[in-house]
Parts: sequence; C-alpha cells; structure tokens
Amino acid sequence: MSEDTILSLRGITKEFPGVKALDDVTFTISRGRIHALVGENGAGKSTLIKILAGIYLNYKGDILLDGKKLTLRSPADAQAHGISVVHQELKLCEPLSITENIFLGNLLYRGGLADWKKMHHKAAEMLAQLGMSMRETQLVESLSVAQKQVVEICKAINHNCRLLIMDEPSATLTDKELTVMFSMMRRLVRSGVTIIYISHRMEEIFNLADDITVLRDGRFVKTLPVQECSREELIRLMVGRTLVNEYPKCEMELGPPVLEVTGLTQKGVFDNISFTLHKGEILGFSGLVGAGRTEVMLALLGLSDLTKGEVRKDGRMVHYKKFAQAIRAGIGLIPEDRKKQGLVQIASISGNICMSSLKKIIRRGILSKRLERRYAEEYIKALSIAAPGPDTEVQYLSGGNQQKVVIAKWLMADSDIIIMDEPTRGIDVGAKSEIYRLMGKLVRQGKSIIMISSEMPELLGMCDNIVVMYEGRKVGELTRGQASQEAIMALCV
Amino acid sequence: MKDKLKQLTREYSSILAILVMGAVFTVASPYFLTAQNLTNILLQCAALSIAAIGQALIVISGNLDLSIGQCVCFSSVIGAYLMKFMDVNPWVAVVCALLMGCLIGWCNGFLVAYVGLPAFIATLGMQMICQSFAKIITNATPIARLPEDIAFLGRGYLGPIPICVLIMLAFYALIQFIAAKTRFGRNVFAIGGGKEAAYFAGIPTKKYLCATYILGGLLAGVAGVLLMSRLDSVSITNGNQYEFDTLIACVIGGLSTTGGKGKIVGVLFGTIFLIMFFNGMTMLDVDPFYQNAIKGGVLIIAITADVLGNRKRN
Repeated sequence: MSEDTILSLRGITKEFPGVKALDDVTFTISRGRIHALVGENGAGKSTLIKILAGIYLNYKGDILLDGKKLTLRSPADAQAHGISVVHQELKLCEPLSITENIFLGNLLYRGGLADWKKMHHKAAEMLAQLGMSMRETQLVESLSVAQKQVVEICKAINHNCRLLIMDEPSATLTDKELTVMFSMMRRLVRSGVTIIYISHRMEEIFNLADDITVLRDGRFVKTLPVQECSREELIRLMVGRTLVNEYPKCEMELGPPVLEVTGLTQKGVFDNISFTLHKGEILGFSGLVGAGRTEVMLALLGLSDLTKGEVRKDGRMVHYKKFAQAIRAGIGLIPEDRKKQGLVQIASISGNICMSSLKKIIRRGILSKRLERRYAEEYIKALSIAAPGPDTEVQYLSGGNQQKVVIAKWLMADSDIIIMDEPTRGIDVGAKSEIYRLMGKLVRQGKSIIMISSEMPELLGMCDNIVVMYEGRKVGELTRGQASQEAIMALCV
Repeated sequence: MKDKLKQLTREYSSILAILVMGAVFTVASPYFLTAQNLTNILLQCAALSIAAIGQALIVISGNLDLSIGQCVCFSSVIGAYLMKFMDVNPWVAVVCALLMGCLIGWCNGFLVAYVGLPAFIATLGMQMICQSFAKIITNATPIARLPEDIAFLGRGYLGPIPICVLIMLAFYALIQFIAAKTRFGRNVFAIGGGKEAAYFAGIPTKKYLCATYILGGLLAGVAGVLLMSRLDSVSITNGNQYEFDTLIACVIGGLSTTGGKGKIVGVLFGTIFLIMFFNGMTMLDVDPFYQNAIKGGVLIIAITADVLGNRKRN
C-alpha cells in the first residue's frame, strides 16, 4: 500500500432482501484530495456512505483506514475514527446558535460546567478558518441554506476529522453559494482533510475533484484522476450498459390526445410547462430530484394551487380545484411515498383498493362488505397480488405487492389516466419488471400513463416520449427514438 | 387464524375484564350482583358513554378532544338556563343545548383541521373557555328543579329499563352502524389510519376531521341533556373529568390511541368497565382518595398494552 492512501475498500458487498446494493467494491482513496464518487441513482453510492458512516454495520469485505482494519459499531464510532458525514438533509437545531450546534453532544467543559467562552472562541476560529463572515452567536434559523451547510461542515470537522464525506451538498445551493463552498473545501483539503464528494452535477465534479470513482449497479467501474477523464467518457462510464429486455415495452399505436397541458405555472416552483399525453401512451418525466416534476402533477390534479396555465382532458378545458374532481374525471395518482401517501398501512387490502371508489360498493347509503370483497378478490387475482386474502393489512405486504394495491385502487376508480410518481422506488428487481408488465397491460387496455422516474433506464425502456425538466422548467422532450441516457443528461446539466 | 384470535382478544378484552372484575366484586360484596345495582351502573354509564362515542370518533380519526367534559357542562348550562330563567319551551331549550354542543365541536374542528393547531392545544383552550362561560352564566350556583317535561329522559323507565339506557343503546347502535357501514365511517377510519394516504386517495380530510369534532360536540350535548335530566339540576361540576374518562373508556374499549382502529361498541364496554370499577370500589369501601390512583394505574396498563401491540407490529 502506498504512503498516501488514507482509505482502502476491499471487496465491500452489501445485500438487502432481493437486492445486491454493493457487489465486491474495491478501490482506494488518496490522502489530502477531493475524491468524487459518481453514479446513477441506485449505483450504490449512498449505501457505501452509510457503511463508512457506521450506519450499516453488516456487510462483507474490509475497510482499511490508514492501513488498519476498521470495524465500526455506530456513527459515533465513525466520528471517533475521524470520519464525518455531511448529509444531504441538514440536521441542525434551528433555534440554537452556531456554536451550540457545532458542539452539540460534544461540549467542552471546565470544572464540570460547560465552557461557553472557549467554545465560542473555537467556533469563531473555525468560521474564520473557512473564510466565513457569520458570527458564532448567530442563531441557525437566521442563516441561509448555504450558511447552514457551513455549520454542518464545522460540526463534522470539529471532531478531529480526517475524512469528510459530503453527500450532494450542492443540491440546494445557488451558484454563488457554491463558489464559496468550493473555496472552503479547498482550504479544508490544504489543512490535511480528505473529502469524498458526491454529486450529480458534471461541471462541479470537473471543477472540484482530483479523483473520480464511478460506481454502476452496485459495482466498482473505475477510479481515475480528473485530468485523464473527459465528460463524455465519464457519462459513458456511468450509464454504459446494454439493456437486455428488462423492459417489456409493447409498441402501441398512440391514440388521440387525452390530456393537454399548456403553460402550467406555479410561481417559484415551476414555470410554463406544456405537454400532451395520448391514449395508450406512457409519457416519461425525467429530471433531478427537485426539478419540479411531482409539483407539476400535484398542481394539475388540484392537490396544490396553480398560478397560470390550461389543462384539457379529452379536449375539454378542465380546472380541478380538488383532487376528488380529478379522480371523478378519471385521473389517478400513485404518489412518490408509497408507504405514507399511497396506502393506509393499517387498513386492509380491500379497504385500500376501495378507498377512492366507495360509491361502487355503497348501495342506498350502506356499504356492502360482500361487494367490497368481490371487487378486492377480483383485483388481487387480476394483478396477481401475493397475499393471504383481501383482509390482510397492507403493511404486511412486500413493496411490489403494495404498489400493486395502489394500482388496483385506481383501476377500481376507473381511472383512464394514471400518474405514477417513482412507481418502482424501493422495489426489488423481480417485482419491478412485474410492475412494468402491468403498465404494458394497462396501455393495451387503452389507459394512458405518466411516469415520473429518477431511474433513466426504466424511462428509456418503458416510455413513448420523455419530457425532461430542470429547475422548474421543461428543457426538452425526446421521442423514444431520440432518447438516450446521454441525450437526457446533456439536457439536465 | 392466530391473527384473528389476537384481533378478537384485542377488541373484546374489555368484556373479559368486565366479567372478571364482576366476579371479583360479586364474591367480595353481597350487594354487587343485584338488579338494582346493575341498573344503577348502567344509569351512571348513560351520559358518559354517549360522550365517549364522540371521543371515540375523534380518536379514530387520529385526534383527541379535551373539551368534551366542559362541552357537556356548558351545553347543559345553556339548556337549563333557557328553560328555567328565560321561559323557553323545554324542548326548544334542549335543541339549543345540542346546537351549543355542535358549535363548540365546530370551533374545535375548525382550529384543528383548518387552522392546523395540535388537537391537544386547541381542545384544551376550548375546555377552559367553556368552563369559564359556564361559571359566568350560572354564577357557579346550581340550577335545580327543571321543568318536568324533560324528566323522563333521565329518570323515566320503560318497564324495568331506564329510558336513558335505551337512548344510550340506540346511539351506540346508530354510530356503530355509521362507523362500519357508511362512507363517513369508512373515511374517518382511513384518515385515522393514514392522513396523508387518505388525502392522496381524494378524501377531503379537513372536512371529515371537522365533522368528527362537530359530531363529538353534538354527542357531548346529548350527554349533557341526559345528565341534566337525571340529576334534575345543572351545576358546573356536571361532566367534570369526562374528557379523561372518555379517553380511558376508548383505550380500554380497544381503540388504537394513534387512530384508525377499533370498534365503537368496544367503547361502551370500556365505559361500563370504568363505572363498574368505581361502583365496586365504593361498595368495598375503598377510600375515594385511592380511587384515582387506581384509575391512573388502569389507564397506564391499558395504554402500555396498546403501545406494546403497536411496537410488535412495526
């Protein structure tokens, strides 16, 4: 092992039920450099970080820190070894001061009492060192997002940090704030800290990183110095795989437009979004998390307010003020958060399936248990939902079967347009392709689907057309023929 | 099968508890198992158990109502005041009392569902407001000897059965039916089981939450009227502690404290358990000072069972 290696990973493998999140990952990280970790969603970056942070404790393989084998027992243990993580979501106590946050759980004492004078002094020193102008006594709630990020970083490096892991810290920052953060990171590196940096943004990686490691589908692809890598090469390394027939797309003759959206705007969230959905079409929505895809759909369905824009359903102008109106008009939504938004976990399968179409099982004001059961059994069979029976609570089902219950809910409600927001998130590979087949079946029956997804392969595999959104704007629309991961990424960055 | 059994024991554990406790008291006191005493227990149940239905609906929807006791009190104060001092037709006064209950419930519902206050805070505030108004109107002196027209509600008998017990049973039958067999009931359960999921299924959650509070207020009003008729007087102590007793009845009756689960009928058994418990304690000459401590213990045990059950599920 060479002198300047701080961390080396050997054969790291981490399995979840049904998924191999990391498969024999081996690479090293050089001391005092900024090392970018890149890959698509699902490539295994966050799993790897969670292992390094001491959150996931069961894995195969060895981690060597400064040549010594590292066995972490908790996140605190990781910190004690000098590994700190700045997570994407900030974890700060808003009503406390900067100093209090930095030393949270880590107070300095003198004579058994907290030594605030010393802590304030150290905090001020740290801020100055990073070139920051905030005062250490300022309350965190009064800071901007970027400044809060700095506090997070101070908190992370306070404890003798040698290896700082930053998980997409740039996602919520403006360009100006980014510049400040980058110069701060460079100062850190000069003071001897090694940084692992995760980002989706290409130009950032090329501006900032010294080395790049690419992960794909849980496997290590390549580590290379940034000088030896072109942007095209990097994209190819990230996405370069040939798709077998994972996506049973059936070619459909597209019918007339069923949903025409023009100039949809929600002030400050998304702007001037237009698209058309045809009968039998699967229309994809691609973009980074936070591009405004979900928000467009919610506004369209009356789940949030619109500032401007027109929606036509089957040629007729509509404006849904409540989601119930959209449901009656035949539009269903499979929400992003299946567990919390898609299903009432403690309710039965039949209860969930019938939730949006009680009128079908109510006769003269009275709910018919018999009808409810019959419908539920029908859908359980049609979608091959694996469950003991319609009375089983959905919390006991697997992710794939839960999602099928959500789909059944909208079939029961006679939706002819189903909007699916990340329909396969957290679902294992086998169940995924079942969901895809189901989608194919639905469009053959003349239904239309909008699919929002962060997984490009599934968009490419399943969609007739793909709308690409970036920071609240539509930046392009690609047909099935034009669409490729490279083409989408080129629009996104 | 095992799940089914578990569910049954969960839903009907209160019946079992009633039987066991009844057996103990029967052995301990010769006066316990008499027709008169049992009727007496049911009589005492009537008002509380009807107020508990309202609490139950609110708990099922995932909230709670701390104003129920004072809502019982204030609405009956309004009714009594109108019929006694304003010469309002007693039945019109009763309707006014019920409307007052609805109004209080609407305030709760508005604050919780539309303003977005935590139920604990909103209903605690309403509790204090109701209590204060009841004192202002009555000057803290009881209003006694009310018109005879309403006497049969609380003191009348149909054969051997008190009318108010029949009213209680009728309300339980009605609300149990509504909870199990109608759109309203189904949606309230859905909201309590997962508010966001209910919202994303197109259920107007705010409207429903508000409605459960209005219904809760109405039922508290009914309880107030029955109490006023049975005691033939209204004082500011009427309905005191009902907010807690109804909550205890809900928990013992098998409702999940986090909402979305349980049976309305279970709450009736929960109430009977509670009243029977105090009846037996009094009969055994247990110092009343100890009784609340024992009640507190029972509550903690019941909720612990619920929490442990939930934890196991997750």
